[in-house]
Order: sequence, then structure tokens, then C-alpha cells
Amino acid sequence: MSQTAVYHTTVQWKGEHRGRLVMGNGPEMDFSAPPDAHGLEGVFTPEDAYVAAANTCVMMMFLWATERFKIKLLSYECRTEGTKRIELDRTEIFTRLHFRPVIRVAADGDKPEVVEARVRRALQSAQKYSLVANSVKSEIVIEPEIFVEE
Amino acid sequence: MSEYLETTIDKFVFRVATDRLFSVDGVWVQRQANGVRVGLTDYLQQRNGDVAFAHVKPVGAKLAVGDEFAEIETIKANASLFSPVSGTVLEVNAALALSPEIINEAPYDKGWLAVIEAADWHREQATLLTPEAYLSALRSQAEQELSGS
Repeated sequence: MSQTAVYHTTVQWKGEHRGRLVMGNGPEMDFSAPPDAHGLEGVFTPEDAYVAAANTCVMMMFLWATERFKIKLLSYECRTEGTKRIELDRTEIFTRLHFRPVIRVAADGDKPEVVEARVRRALQSAQKYSLVANSVKSEIVIEPEIFVEE
Repeated sequence: MSEYLETTIDKFVFRVATDRLFSVDGVWVQRQANGVRVGLTDYLQQRNGDVAFAHVKPVGAKLAVGDEFAEIETIKANASLFSPVSGTVLEVNAALALSPEIINEAPYDKGWLAVIEAADWHREQATLLTPEAYLSALRSQAEQELSGS
């Protein structure tokens, strides 16, 4: 099953430190650099895009995993932080992506500890099968809080 | 402790236990005192992905060669497993109910699926593949997948 697929975006300079981003799936938005890197307040940044790509991809894979693992998901919210390191030669790298998902699920007749174990396996699978998480070279740390409601 | 043949295809390493026989579609068969123990090969578990659920025919179920004896539901797919021997299910791995991931973690050991009282082992074992023959078969299957043909 060695298959490939191609995804695309287009950027266009709009003057000064601002650009326009057109996503392959439709949305368009302005972008800049973060304010601490000579960019503009209140618009999308490459740093946001990197962290968001991982965060959204892991969530979408987790949603798929909950269906496959027959988990009744009640809510999912995840703040993810990307840690940037500035190297001696002034190059920069995201060294770490730290996910903190808060997950609420229904026991749905099963023992809470059984359901929690299944949620943890679904999260591991979400990380393993997430296209973006699988593609980045940052360390990935996932620290979930899981609440099983009986 | 089993010994293994090993092959690397693309970036994946697949192991084949040398102390048992195999069906061409990836079910291993190991002779026991009371029948044969069966499970998924390392190649088959890697091809199908993380196991969420394993459903094995219950104790007492009668099987002919080629009958579905188990179904696994993974993160990516549902896969039917077909019996390599005829006989009666004697035992099902109870650990699969709470920890189906053992199929991925130890496919030749703790991740076994069932013990079958083989009705015609002496004739049917001749239809199964040796470890060397299965290794060759899995290489062909994997290379066909990689080439997309």
C-alpha cells in the first residue's frame, strides 16, 4: 500500500510583513510572523500553523480512533504548546510539541478503568497514525486528563 | 522461546517464528498436546494496524478449513481470519477481551487467538507453509503492495 497524495497551499505577498494564504481545502486568511519576530498582531503565523497542524491532526485521528475503539466521546479539548529553540547559529527549531487533551467519555456500561485504558490506547493510536505527528521531528508528549462518566 | 527468520522490506522488519507452520494468508499454526494453537503472523498484524477488538469463535465452534474463525477490528480495518485446519475450538485467549493490543505486541506468544482440536492434522499440515516458504510468500505479498500491483 505504497500510495501517495498531494496537498497544497498558496501564499502571496501583500506588502510589508503580511501575506495572504489560500488553503487547498478552501479557506483563505492573512498571515504574518509573530509579533516577537517582527510580525503583526492578530493574524495567523507559521508558528500557529505548525502547532495547529499537529493539534488538529491528532484530534481528527483521535475522533477516528474513538469510533474504531467504540468509545462514546462526550467532549475533547486540547491545548498544545510547541517549544521553539534558538540554536547557537541563530537557526530555530521546534523541539517539542506538548499536548494536554482533556477528554470526557461515557462508561456506557463498561468499568471506568476498562474505558480509560481503551481511551489511552486510542490516543496512542491517534499519535501513531496522525499524518502530521508522524511527519514532524519534534518530540511529542501527550499528557491526557481522562474523565469517565458513569 | 521461539527463534525467528527476519526480513526487512522498505522500512519494516517482519519476523517469522521458526517453530510453527503457516497459512499463506498469515495465520500461524503450532502443534500442542491437545490440538493446534493459532494466531496472526507479525506481518499480518503490522499490515492491519493497532488492534481495537478481537472476536474469536467460541469454544465448541466447529470449523472447516477456510471457515472464518476470528475477526479483528483495528484502527484501520476489519479483517476476517480463516481457519487453516478443520476441527473444534477448544480454547480462546481470554486476555484478548481486555488487552487486544497483545496481538500487536506479541503476535507469536501472548497474542495467540485460539486452540483448535484439529480433526485431520496429519493430512492438513501438509497444506501449510514452512517458515521459509511463508517468509518467501510474505515478501512477495509485501513487494506487490509496495509496487501497487
